[in-house]
Amino acid sequence: MGHNTAIKRFSATPVGQPLELFEETHGRMPIVLELFASPWVVHASDVMRRDGSCAAKHAAEPLGVTWDAAGQHPSAFTRAEQVYLIDAIVQSWAIEKAWWDPRKRVSRRFWRVSAAGGVYDIAYNRDDGSWLLMGIQD
Amino acid sequence: MTIVSGSFVHLHVHSQFSFMDGAAPLTGLVERAAELEMPALALTDHQGLSGAIRFYKACGAAGIIPIIGCEVVVETAGILGEEADLPPEKRLLLPASVGFGRAAGVGYHLTLLVRDFGGYRNLCRLLSRTHLRGPHENSIVTLRDLESYGEGLIGLSGCGNGEAARAVLARAPGRAREALRRLSACFPTGDFYVELVHPLTTDGSRLVGGLTSLAHELALPVVATNNVHYLRSADHRLHDVLAAAGSRSSLPGPLDRPNAELWLKPATQMRGLFEGLPRACDATLEIAAKCRLELPLGEFHFPGADIPKGETPYSTLARESWRGLERRYKPLIPEAISRLQHELSLIDSMGFSEYFLVVKEIVDFAKSQGIRCSGRGSAGDSIVSYALGITDADPVRHDLLFERFLNPERRQMPDIDVDFDSARRDEVIAFIFKRFGSEHVAMVATVNTMTAKSAVRTVARSFGLPLAEVNRLTRHLPWVSARKIREVLATYPECAHHPLRDEGAHGLLLDLAEELDHCPMHLGTHLGGFIITRDPIASWTPLQWAAKGTVVSQYDKDDIEALGLVKMDILGLRIHSAISEAVGMARARVGEDAVPEPFDLTPDDPAVYAQVSSADTVGMFQLESSGQRNLSTRLKSSTFEDIIAQISLFRPGPLEAEMIVPFIRRRHGLEPVVVPHEGMRAVLADTYGVIVYQEQVLLVARAVAGFGLAEADSLRRAMTKGRSREDMERIRGHFLERAMARGVEMGVAEEVFRQLEGFAAYGFNKAHAACFAVVSYASAWLRTYYPAEFAAAIMNNEPMGFYTPRLVLNDARRHGIGILPPHVNESGARYAVQADGRAIRVGLRDIHRMNARLLATIENEQAVRPFRDLTDFLRRTRAELLAAESLVRVGALDGLGITEEGRPPTRDELLVLLPEVKAVLAREGVAGDDTLCLAPAPTRRPEDPGHVSGWGPVRRLSAELELTGLSLTAHPLTLAKTDLEARGVTWARDLAALPDRTRVRVAGVRERAQTPRTRSGNRTCFLTLEDPTGLLDVVVFSDALARSGETIVKHRAYIVDGTLQNNCERGLAIVAHTVSPYVVRADVGGDRVRLRRGVPAGPMGPSLGGAGAPEEESWAAAEGSVPYGG
Repeated sequence: MGHNTAIKRFSATPVGQPLELFEETHGRMPIVLELFASPWVVHASDVMRRDGSCAAKHAAEPLGVTWDAAGQHPSAFTRAEQVYLIDAIVQSWAIEKAWWDPRKRVSRRFWRVSAAGGVYDIAYNRDDGSWLLMGIQD
Repeated sequence: MTIVSGSFVHLHVHSQFSFMDGAAPLTGLVERAAELEMPALALTDHQGLSGAIRFYKACGAAGIIPIIGCEVVVETAGILGEEADLPPEKRLLLPASVGFGRAAGVGYHLTLLVRDFGGYRNLCRLLSRTHLRGPHENSIVTLRDLESYGEGLIGLSGCGNGEAARAVLARAPGRAREALRRLSACFPTGDFYVELVHPLTTDGSRLVGGLTSLAHELALPVVATNNVHYLRSADHRLHDVLAAAGSRSSLPGPLDRPNAELWLKPATQMRGLFEGLPRACDATLEIAAKCRLELPLGEFHFPGADIPKGETPYSTLARESWRGLERRYKPLIPEAISRLQHELSLIDSMGFSEYFLVVKEIVDFAKSQGIRCSGRGSAGDSIVSYALGITDADPVRHDLLFERFLNPERRQMPDIDVDFDSARRDEVIAFIFKRFGSEHVAMVATVNTMTAKSAVRTVARSFGLPLAEVNRLTRHLPWVSARKIREVLATYPECAHHPLRDEGAHGLLLDLAEELDHCPMHLGTHLGGFIITRDPIASWTPLQWAAKGTVVSQYDKDDIEALGLVKMDILGLRIHSAISEAVGMARARVGEDAVPEPFDLTPDDPAVYAQVSSADTVGMFQLESSGQRNLSTRLKSSTFEDIIAQISLFRPGPLEAEMIVPFIRRRHGLEPVVVPHEGMRAVLADTYGVIVYQEQVLLVARAVAGFGLAEADSLRRAMTKGRSREDMERIRGHFLERAMARGVEMGVAEEVFRQLEGFAAYGFNKAHAACFAVVSYASAWLRTYYPAEFAAAIMNNEPMGFYTPRLVLNDARRHGIGILPPHVNESGARYAVQADGRAIRVGLRDIHRMNARLLATIENEQAVRPFRDLTDFLRRTRAELLAAESLVRVGALDGLGITEEGRPPTRDELLVLLPEVKAVLAREGVAGDDTLCLAPAPTRRPEDPGHVSGWGPVRRLSAELELTGLSLTAHPLTLAKTDLEARGVTWARDLAALPDRTRVRVAGVRERAQTPRTRSGNRTCFLTLEDPTGLLDVVVFSDALARSGETIVKHRAYIVDGTLQNNCERGLAIVAHTVSPYVVRADVGGDRVRLRRGVPAGPMGPSLGGAGAPEEESWAAAEGSVPYGG
């Protein structure tokens, strides 16, 4: 039989078990989010390459963002004239750095959102009120 | 406030009492929590409860439930398997330890909250045990301690620096689980919570998720906190500054906080952060409901006094008091008897007998050891303390009122302050520790807060500015609160060129410094406050080590008073040491029986009063300041009552109320004594109808409105403290009603009330003044009859009093006492009186770079035989090179040895020889006689061949001023006498003979420059100058100060042009028009005298800018009018 006999012998479609765990995207989302937020999962953004850069894609491009005032988070963003509806907020964090030096100062609020094509990090710049796309993880 | 669901309670809150790791002011926290309608608020400062009592009181006032707690550093709990068997240093700990403060770098954070009073006492014990483990050990809580003292405490697993949190972040769930398991076992079931902090960092949700799943696994409840460090998001800058400065680094500091989220967020935001975990937020309410701490504030807890068997504290006190009364009053007078009966019954009813006995025990010990002591303050109002020997002023004779000291209407802890001979205070302290047990005695803390100078330093250092720049920015900043920096920079003349005025460069720094106003920096130790308790003190307050190895409470005196613990001020008073020493020296010279005990003298010697009223008072206790000397000439004191009045009148209150002018005018009959009501005439007879003393306020209220004394004291207090308009109206109505009921006319009663209102807040406590006056008279008497001994004793006990040692010595010289320079064969370490009381030999201990070893060696070797020459001196004393250099330069080796030319070597030659001899001694161990043959290398020709030192008078004087701070040979201005006379300068001793309003020009060296607060808010500088003939009092009003403020600050000698004021109403002073700098150049040779001490003593050395600008800079500014660089 060769290697990994047990795995090969295991039926991938046992009786009574549907192949798809979730029928639609909507139903899958809580699990995805749970996985994103899981403390034991390593994110691409946390993994550093040897040269010190991040394993996820990094960009810093201006965005147009639609704000959801009720939920206090963004609901959609426009990139390259295409509107991305935000499916879910994965995570949110804030950065406040070097406030004592006007040249180096960074003051941003970040949202890691799940939208078509992957997970995006979008940031609100508190200094000038602009929105930026800071990273993409796909 | 009731707890409603949907709200939130912050359970992890740091205030400014986290000392450099918290920027939230206590009052701000409580106000903000009340504003956000939070039912409760916790305070969890780092490793201490310093802010707890204030917080408890503030919460009570705001109607919020206070939860007291703290954040401690706990040892590692989550060690798995075999690793637990390894010694701590061998363990590989995955999450790095964090620690804090005295436990930096070891262990992890843990938040503790107090459930009830038992929990509070346990927390005090736990903290004390942790801090007192050893003076050099980490303040770390062990699991075993936590287990023993966990009762009544609620534990939260800690912020991001808790062990579980750090393990989760380091992806070591096993460790986190083990840590939580072991920590939770230390607390009663259900009282340990897993603390969830979501600081909105990238790791935040991972942390919360990890901890929640572990909590679920271990069946522990979770609770949400925000690890609050500041009040509002914008305040994070202050926190960053404090954290960076606190860790002696520059921004961003060692923690490098990623964002600004640790603020007191409202409930909606907190619940939003933990959207999926409402139970974590509900748990905060559950904990708040559990915590029901009731501190028994307002109860008193006295230490155990020594009570004989079968007696009560009251019976013992009564017996001792009656005995004492018989000793004090000979013959016994009926007033004293009835007074004592009255006081004893009041003391008994208030339950303070034990307190008096404890104070008596301490005072008795001091007296039995011959340690001079005297009570001060309002305790002097009590005949019990007089009879017990605690105070020395007769309360019957001086009309002192017990109700001013202890008011039966307001049951308040009595406060008896006793001053002890400061040289022997340690013996008293040792007795207290021995008598009450070291577990029952601790010192009171003081909270050191930021002023303008320290706030600027803190911010500047956190900005990473170099030390020299930091010094430059803080130099010449006056002692004002940080809020006033900008105002001061804009208005104070000495800040006209201050670098901080550059708003562009330092605007942010100033903004932050202003915000830091009054921020607590660290705990200090109160000068003399001791807490004495019956139970072990650690169950009342947390203790920790202070500098000097003493145990100090984390509470300050107000907190201790609130807790009802007994606090005793064991203060050191240097005048006591000086008086004791002067008496000792005088007795050694003229015989043991010839000198009476100065405290027991009848104060009626006209020679003493003559000296006081001629303003010749340098060194006299409380009578020597420039203001007091001015008052002396106006008042012409001739009785003991006058001395009491003199001490009381020159105080901020009476000065502000301008009582002095009517007092003096009426005393000298320049205006009639007018009182609105006849009853006041008898009461105010001693003070010519002016209300000077607080006791008189009570007497007036009794005489006019028929108030009882206790009631009258309550009236006085109401008028003094925090009086609102409505309160005042109410008091006024009450007073008028009572007065009119006794038949006093409305208009008269109103006038009396107006006077009471005007003076009640400014009057001085007569008992305090009377207690001081006893000491003042003793010092005045010594100065009159034993001036040399008195001056020498003062020099030996410096720093003390109003003047510098330099002036005390110059003053002695002006009184015909010879000043003999220090010499290794003549001087001991201390000052001594020689030539049968006509000369003072300067001691060696004031010479720069001398040390205790060398002083002792010199004294020992002097007893063997005199030093023959430099080599002999160095060989026998092994004097350090720098110390020997100081001795040579100050002239302590003048005249020793002989050179080829048949004369002693000059100081220049000695200085050349010095390193050579030291080298020979170092090479050969014990130098033989061959070193005698060393001939000094050629040096420059002696400037003054007539003097044995070969140095001219300018160099000698400059060296003395540099190395001892004293002008031993002559006053500096005597060297420039011709020049000054050519400029038309009038000498101090001639001023009294000139008429009022003469235009004069005087010259002097700065002794003191004071700018006290005045009612109008204008700044007036009182400048005390000294010229060779005496002291000059110069008043610089605000317009002249604006012109010459900078000169005053940056120079040391001035020429002052002004108008003489010489009348009996205002006394003798010079009102300055201009103050110009004067560089002292010798008439012969033209060398400049250096007036500055080389290295100022004390912590504010030159490296911190305490020495001011270098002298060359001020010369250049004075002579070439070069502008200041700041």
